[in-house]
Amino acid sequence: MSRNTRRAAAAAIALGIALAVSGCAGDGDAASGGGSSDGKVTLTFWENAQPGPGAEHWKAAVAEYQKLHPNVTINIQAIQNEDLDGKLQTALNSGSAPDIFLQRGGGKMQAMVQAGQIQELHLTDTDKANAGAAALAGYSIDGKIYGMPVDTQPEGIYYSKDLFKQAGIATPPTTMAELQDAVAKLKAINVEPIAVGAKDAWPAAHWYYNFALRECSQDAMNKAAQTLKFTDPCWTKAGEDLASFIKVEPFQKGFLTTSAQQGAGSSAGMIANHKAGMELMGNWDPGVIGSLTADQKPLPDLGWFPFPAVPGGQGDPAAIMGGLDGFSLSKKAPKEALGFLQFLVTSEEQKAYSKAFFTIPVNKEAQSVVTDDYNVSALQAFNKAPYSMMFLDTLYGQNVGNAMNTSVVNLFAGKGSAADIAKDTNAAAAKG
Amino acid sequence: MRFEIAVLSGPAILMFLAFVIFPVALAAFYGFYRWHGYGAPTDWVGLNNYKLILTDPAFQQVLWHTGLILVLSLVIQGPLAVGLALLLNQKIRGRSVIRILIFVPYVISEVIVGTAWSLMLQTNGAVNDLLGHVGLGFLKADWLSDPKLALWTLMGIISWKYIGFAVILMLAGLQSIPDELSEAAQIDGASYWQIQRRITLPLLGPTIRIWAFLSIIGSLQLFDLVYIIWGPYVAGTAGTSTMAIYMVAQGRNAGNYGYGSAIAVVMFLISLVVALIYQRFVLRRDLQGAVTEGAS
Repeated sequence: MSRNTRRAAAAAIALGIALAVSGCAGDGDAASGGGSSDGKVTLTFWENAQPGPGAEHWKAAVAEYQKLHPNVTINIQAIQNEDLDGKLQTALNSGSAPDIFLQRGGGKMQAMVQAGQIQELHLTDTDKANAGAAALAGYSIDGKIYGMPVDTQPEGIYYSKDLFKQAGIATPPTTMAELQDAVAKLKAINVEPIAVGAKDAWPAAHWYYNFALRECSQDAMNKAAQTLKFTDPCWTKAGEDLASFIKVEPFQKGFLTTSAQQGAGSSAGMIANHKAGMELMGNWDPGVIGSLTADQKPLPDLGWFPFPAVPGGQGDPAAIMGGLDGFSLSKKAPKEALGFLQFLVTSEEQKAYSKAFFTIPVNKEAQSVVTDDYNVSALQAFNKAPYSMMFLDTLYGQNVGNAMNTSVVNLFAGKGSAADIAKDTNAAAAKG
Repeated sequence: MRFEIAVLSGPAILMFLAFVIFPVALAAFYGFYRWHGYGAPTDWVGLNNYKLILTDPAFQQVLWHTGLILVLSLVIQGPLAVGLALLLNQKIRGRSVIRILIFVPYVISEVIVGTAWSLMLQTNGAVNDLLGHVGLGFLKADWLSDPKLALWTLMGIISWKYIGFAVILMLAGLQSIPDELSEAAQIDGASYWQIQRRITLPLLGPTIRIWAFLSIIGSLQLFDLVYIIWGPYVAGTAGTSTMAIYMVAQGRNAGNYGYGSAIAVVMFLISLVVALIYQRFVLRRDLQGAVTEGAS
């Protein structure tokens, strides 16, 4: 090969590489959307609704908003819940973040704020009134709001009224002793008393969170969020409570390999098919259960009661554990994206949302559409609660929360002790 | 000539750099940071992550599990595969059907194998149900969550899945052994077992050593089956967690990306060292003569 052809070939290869590189960059720009000169705006919107009424609701909401704002186009992308975090993180880091995405607050949101990846939301007084101060507090850091809440998720125990009746349980349990009594009665009619999807860790961990909510004072829990040190004896006490509760074998056989929300064999599926009497969950559960019944309709005999009181605890017996669903805007999202969030908390839109997801909307006016018995009970308990504590794995951030969840699973498996939970959680805060 | 080499191998080298060398280098880089995955890593912690790994009881546990899986794979599958290969090398009826049946599990993807077995082995799954129906109800067990059983369940599934591959390798090895050798031995009055022990097995040696190498590397990197059946949280308590599972649990699940990257680097080093030692001391004889150029 002559020197000239060699040079030409080298140039061609270099050109090819340059094209490939610039091609990638071009794609990135296109994906991030944004405005153009003629006022048309395309927004990307990531949510986690599975096919069903929830997914239909988002299509309708987007269509409605586009009708009101013809210059805006919103592309919905539904991402399975367990995949969402990883995908979002990659997108945020690579600069191709969606404009609007699902946000649950806590340590993860704080990490996004620290990395400068999401926008502060400048809400009007109307928006604030629509969303409500309590819900907005869950999305605030140093007085700045970074997420728009759409529903509240007070956690409690969902149960089958029919099975309770069959087992001869007259009223929902209000204390631990009554809960254990209900467990024994359900066992007597050959039903698994409580379903838990421990394979996913967090559903098992929620049992620990609620014992901690009853054992620890509000102050101790908030202090742990700041220092990430779990030295207060209440953390171990909560683990001991859970360990002695596990001893009465309230959970279904093989709970360690049961997942929470996928298929008839999951814990939600067991409730949907009347194989188990109860499940501790946040208020997305009725929707999940509904999608797993034989006719894919909401379970007619579903009831709800708050986590029972634990004698001698420092926490308020009426306090509620809960989470939020809401949406954040990535750093580069155009101002029209905020308009969509403002639209989501308007009363009409919230009513439609509540119906589609069987949940409690944040907008007080829209709460009038809550008629499902379980949601009415949950809403009443929520309004009575002196304070609401965010799910601990969200509150304490991903790495601490994950270590806590893992140690609770160990306790469920009979391998760890109550003291290990605090110990492992303290150790996790050291890892980077 | 050199230019043609560059042009022809260039794309492959570029791909190799982009998808192998670059990620490895990146993992090594992240391993020096405390990083939770949002934004660029800024919190340099030097060798701290590696120090943590050395004292992390959970890592020691997965290292032990991985080692156990490695040894058990060799001990269970090796003799079984050689035996089956010897059997299937005979002229027996239905030989090709049996060969196919043994090989089928190897062809099925790990995700499907994992999902299917995890459903069948649930406490209320098909396996326990079958045991009850054939009057072996006393054998019913919690195959997946009981820490005393889970590792053996895993070994059963692994053996079922990979034995076909080992058998095919061994059969290929047996094909390359000339019949004349055993015929001559037979004429000299050697028994069947003597022939297998003195002639077949030694000549099958290179094949066995290569299979063992693949099995070791596979065990060190075992991930999908365990992840599908147990998931990252329960694998630890069931005693089936591996290094790769722990890496993902710390990185993707716990968001400790710096620590997870450091685990990846440690895993890479362990695999590399094992591979080098194995090549140096076990495969040396087999590789002699394989390199024909440049050897002095």
